[in-house]
Amino acid sequence: MTRSLWISGPRGSRAICLEADVQDERDDTELEEGLRRLAARLDPVPTRLLHAAAESFTWRTIDADLAELVFDSLVDQDEAALVRGPEQVRLLSFETGDLAIEVEITGTESARSLIGQLVPPGRAAVEIRQGDDVVAADADELGRFSAGPLRAGPVSLRCSTRPERRRVVTDWVTI
Amino acid sequence: MRSQFVWSSPSLRLTAAFPGVLRGGELTGVAGTHRHGVYPYSRDQREDVPVHPEEAARLARAAAAGDSVAWNGLVEGFSGLVWSVARAYRLSSADAADVFQTAWLRLAEHIGRIEKPEHIGAWLATTARREALRVARGSSRVIPTDDTALFDLGHADEASPEQAVLDSEQAAIDHERTKRLWRAFGQLSARCQELLRVLIATPPPNYAEVAAALDMPVGSVGPTRARCLQKLRRLTGEVSETV
Repeated sequence: MTRSLWISGPRGSRAICLEADVQDERDDTELEEGLRRLAARLDPVPTRLLHAAAESFTWRTIDADLAELVFDSLVDQDEAALVRGPEQVRLLSFETGDLAIEVEITGTESARSLIGQLVPPGRAAVEIRQGDDVVAADADELGRFSAGPLRAGPVSLRCSTRPERRRVVTDWVTI
Repeated sequence: MRSQFVWSSPSLRLTAAFPGVLRGGELTGVAGTHRHGVYPYSRDQREDVPVHPEEAARLARAAAAGDSVAWNGLVEGFSGLVWSVARAYRLSSADAADVFQTAWLRLAEHIGRIEKPEHIGAWLATTARREALRVARGSSRVIPTDDTALFDLGHADEASPEQAVLDSEQAAIDHERTKRLWRAFGQLSARCQELLRVLIATPPPNYAEVAAALDMPVGSVGPTRARCLQKLRRLTGEVSETV
């Protein structure tokens, strides 16, 4: 039997498909849906992560400049230049306008250490955020600060410069 | 939700022509149903409905203005995509969880700064891909490519998949077919596994989001999908080699 099928596309556009194409597309769609059901059953988004994603909204910082991640030695440095070994050093740079926050991450998965530097240097109240945990690590007059041990996972820094009280928050990044 | 939203995904376009292909043969029936503000997250058939770009933009703007209900709508609409991207890059449960959380935390800080809120799904997919690559490079927890890497079989906080399979009446019937499909999936090329793992997110992502997730041209998503599904069909022995 030869027949054609009209299929509505987005916004009412119409396309005519030959029967063979329709059959192929139907087979593909069925197979894809079978896989989708399989993935939904065997590897769903863990419920605790859905809650965490909803909660992320409450942690956003509204009254601060956002310092975006502009350099990460893990991806922005030649493979050969990476320091390999048990004590890997990862360098991260965040920038907003004329302020940069340079961060060095060392340590193992269970206990990360962080050393930071504000550029230009100066005193600041610094908070290291890891989910609900907030660790204070004030920067000295040379703009240096440090913290640890931190656990592996998403981290973001929040700074308030002294005496200007300029507030800056960095992008979240997984350490 | 307006009814045309169900037409936004290529994989759903045939619903009307082939009712029963999807669990949501009733999908069109949810038109007009309130699907936002479900918190805690509720799992029902509405989670299958993709977020139309216009709806995504509306939710993003509302969330930027402080509307947590709209934010939860984004979480419902795009969590499956973000998780699938982390999985497509073969991250362990712990690493995939970090990537997932980082992507959403980053969106929370960027929500008012996103230039094209209608493409927020692609923004999330791109963010998750980049974060997954960082984590894959930096972590000692990355597990090697094998046939189970794209699906986690060991959620500590979920029912075991074996139990989930047994619990489902549908699965009991399809058990053999499921195992065959599972094995066949693991035999696909890495590229096919990555593409399909993202494509089969719930709700189904659009091709722009899939392209962003895998850093590939939008135009090659459809042809690659067709090729990978054909390979999969061969591997499961459902068509002859001559097809």
